[in-house]
Amino acid sequence: MPLPLDEVQAVMRRALLDGETGALVPLIEGRELAETQLAIYRNNVFASLTEVLRGTFPAICRLVDDRFFAYAAHEFIRRHPPQRPCLAEYGAEFADFLAGFPPCRELPYIADVARLEWFLNAAVTAGDTAPLTPSALAAIAPEEAPRVVLRFDPSLGFLASPWPIDRIWEANRPGGDDGAAIELAAGGVHLEIRRRDGAVVFQSLDRATFAFRQALGEGETLETASARALGVNAEFDLTGAFSDLFREAVVTGFEIAEVPSL
Amino acid sequence: MTIGSPSPVSVGIGLRAPHIDEVIDSCPAIAWLEVHAENYISCGPALRRLERIRENYAISLHGVGLSLGTAEGLDSEHLRRLHALVDLCAPMLVSEHLSWSMSGGVYLNDLLPLPYTEEALAIVARNIDIAQEALGRQILIENPSRYLSFRHSSIAEPEFLAALARRTGCGSLCDVNNVYVTCTNLGLDTAHYLDAIPAETIGEIHLAGHSRVLRDGVAMLIDDHASRVAPPVWELYRRVLARIGAVPTLVEWDKALPPLAVLLGEARAAALTAEQTIHAVAAG
Repeated sequence: MPLPLDEVQAVMRRALLDGETGALVPLIEGRELAETQLAIYRNNVFASLTEVLRGTFPAICRLVDDRFFAYAAHEFIRRHPPQRPCLAEYGAEFADFLAGFPPCRELPYIADVARLEWFLNAAVTAGDTAPLTPSALAAIAPEEAPRVVLRFDPSLGFLASPWPIDRIWEANRPGGDDGAAIELAAGGVHLEIRRRDGAVVFQSLDRATFAFRQALGEGETLETASARALGVNAEFDLTGAFSDLFREAVVTGFEIAEVPSL
Repeated sequence: MTIGSPSPVSVGIGLRAPHIDEVIDSCPAIAWLEVHAENYISCGPALRRLERIRENYAISLHGVGLSLGTAEGLDSEHLRRLHALVDLCAPMLVSEHLSWSMSGGVYLNDLLPLPYTEEALAIVARNIDIAQEALGRQILIENPSRYLSFRHSSIAEPEFLAALARRTGCGSLCDVNNVYVTCTNLGLDTAHYLDAIPAETIGEIHLAGHSRVLRDGVAMLIDDHASRVAPPVWELYRRVLARIGAVPTLVEWDKALPPLAVLLGEARAAALTAEQTIHAVAAG
């Protein structure tokens, strides 16, 4: 009895990803050529997925050399192959993978640069939404205000790093000045990434504003987000920060959270 | 193309990202454009640009990720997104491949070969039924380029395609370059292959370039879509047209992408070849 199709496919998947060809080769016509034929498919799989990763992480490509990137991508693809056919959404685990990849130990900032590139990529394909005007909040009763939960533009991402990853990214993007001296001790950044008018942009926020917006972005109430911002900076201008959200067209909707039952 | 001597065959080109802006700005004279569905299945600016292109051109949606050959069944979320895209661009044709890419929840991003057995036929036919039902329309199934055969295959590839068309009402997308690559790599007869696909099922033809490589001392053809259509593939194209008549034809180029003008030139060459072939047949 020949193997059922699902088993043939599982055997071929392992042969391509892990190089375990022992179970597959006997199933192939003209066995003496089987390894050569399989190598064409294996090359298609790894080369095309490496190309996808190069497109999503161009600054990482420039930070390490091309051969090293191909090696890291190969290891990543083996351990984290795509689960969906939409490859614009492939690579979510790449930053964490690099963080734990021993050959990258000399580049402690590389994972955060990859996180930035992942946010930039995600912002490209996030859904379109219309911003909310502040007048939409007029009907909220004063006693409900602390329980307001805002919905943010889905392209928005927040990333904090102990490294100057914005400057590292700038220097390593296509056409960037990769000879620029970057003082790694210059300190960290708190970045907000989003798509605006079709272009993906990011800006550096002060720590309190970052804490405020990140909390709101995670679906926390206005009260919780305010407390987080004030915890960072007791002088934080809440009114100004709130109106900035609308001035920058960040908010797309809101709801009032239930009163927590005691 | 001038009025009075219309080409008998409608020729399109595969539209790839680096050419999109130029196509939007210059509106070249081409009958239709084919795009890879998976490049537009996420939201965002790519989709907005496709909508602009849709204003001026008929679109053919070519899927590369549905994995119709997978024994585990189709990814319903992917099918749902494909359906949304079909609704958005009302394509003239929708096509996919006789291959698989998904196994064990992993997407391998290549058009992998099937063993051509009765079991596989039942699985692929069921998946095509589900896809056609979900999309509310017929899809065309393309013959893949193959680099190996399974020993337990019992059905020849063109007969497998013909059986799928009988069972599901799907059509065939005859990729003439793939026929040449597969037959050369696996020692099959191209003429026999082409003549075995039922003429009435062929809804589209693909033309593309391939390359010849030496691997472990063995010459293999690689379907890399990185060059002009090769002379023997033009020969096979003429053979198909002579047998089945005018069918929408696509010129694909994916790697080492040339300037748009070169690709449009290949499309004109295809239109001219088709015109000459069909006139020659008509003249007896």
